[in-house]
Amino acid sequence: MKIAGAHVIPVEPERAYALLQDPAVLGKSMPGCDALEQIGESEYHMKMKMVLASISGLFDGKVRIAEPNPPAGFRLIVEGSGKIGFMRGDGLLTLSAAEGGTQVAYDGSVEVGGTIASVGQRLLDTTAKMIIKRFFNKLSAEAAASGGAAGSGG
Amino acid sequence: MIPQPFEYSAPSTLQEAFELIAGGERKVLAGGMSLIPLMKLRLASPEHVVDLGRVPDLNQITEAGGVLHIGATATHHDLESSPLIRGRCPLLAEAASQIGDIQVRNRGTIGGSLAHADPAADYPASLLALEAQVRLASAKSERTVYAGDFFLDPFTTAIEPGEIIVQVLVPAEAGKEGYRYEKLPHPASGFAIVGVAARIVKSDGKIAFARIGITGMGPHAFRALAAEKLLEDGAPVEKAVATIGQGEEANSDLYASADYRRHLARVRAKRAIQVALSRAS
Repeated sequence: MKIAGAHVIPVEPERAYALLQDPAVLGKSMPGCDALEQIGESEYHMKMKMVLASISGLFDGKVRIAEPNPPAGFRLIVEGSGKIGFMRGDGLLTLSAAEGGTQVAYDGSVEVGGTIASVGQRLLDTTAKMIIKRFFNKLSAEAAASGGAAGSGG
Repeated sequence: MIPQPFEYSAPSTLQEAFELIAGGERKVLAGGMSLIPLMKLRLASPEHVVDLGRVPDLNQITEAGGVLHIGATATHHDLESSPLIRGRCPLLAEAASQIGDIQVRNRGTIGGSLAHADPAADYPASLLALEAQVRLASAKSERTVYAGDFFLDPFTTAIEPGEIIVQVLVPAEAGKEGYRYEKLPHPASGFAIVGVAARIVKSDGKIAFARIGITGMGPHAFRALAAEKLLEDGAPVEKAVATIGQGEEANSDLYASADYRRHLARVRAKRAIQVALSRAS
């Protein structure tokens, strides 16, 4: 399944890029993320609890950042699996200055398998979009909250 | 498959139900047409299921002061066969009659369907067109939310933790209005690929009032406000429906792409409006 879209984060590109690489910020912004810990250079281990309507499931996975090109963009690879299924996403994030901050455009593909995919095929697309939207909304809130304290990650 | 073990309670009052749903992995069970299959697939594994089926009078359908009060556990079949709904809100009866199959309509409830908030569920289109309200109650308080503010995202509603849907409030109509629920069902699931609810009131042969609700096309049901306005301003139906889905996100799956769904919403809206027009007096 192909996914593409764009969201605006209310900070300049350098700051947006830094936020997108900060495990503390990512952990807070990813819906249902219980823990995100660094396991290698630009590689993180992630525990996630997805709750959507009555559906809930624990996912265990990895987040990897490749082809870093600050502040213009990078490639994000996310893998996760749990009892109810597995997912693998691979996408290119492109940052550019825009009115009101930085536009983060994403273009990539997501594969979902297991029970969740066989039962929920009709809902995968809208659900994936909703999760991405929530991620960026949360990230924008985090960005706004940390707006004055540039460089606090160091 | 067999669900994971869970505790089961069937309270006999709402007050008891409020206490039982507080805290932990609790789920409210109404008709079970969504929750039970998910539990059997182990996509949902609540620790405790609170069944509203034994709360008396929660399925009552009554009319007071020009408003229909539909109890949350009224089944789809109750709605499609209720003389009150058929007479005073035929649009909702028509929508209820097109949900799933007879087994689902006999078990599934309006409250359960709304709380689950499937983006392709049938009721939301009609409830938006009817400007209905959802009454939510918790141990401490009660509030009503307009249908337009209730559906937030796929499977996401304005229900707060601790709240239960107790009633749906729908304005009763006088019988001059034309209505139609027009749906293309998914051949396997019966869910709406696109469903359009239309209400039209005519005055001197022209459209004086139009309400259009659309489900299945986007992440949640929505009102086609631009199309309503155009119809009320006397624009041709063709022109009004062309605005539907403009700038709106549309769902896409193996069965129907986003563009197809948008197109379908317009075609079905046109048909719904035409039937509603022919029924309006």
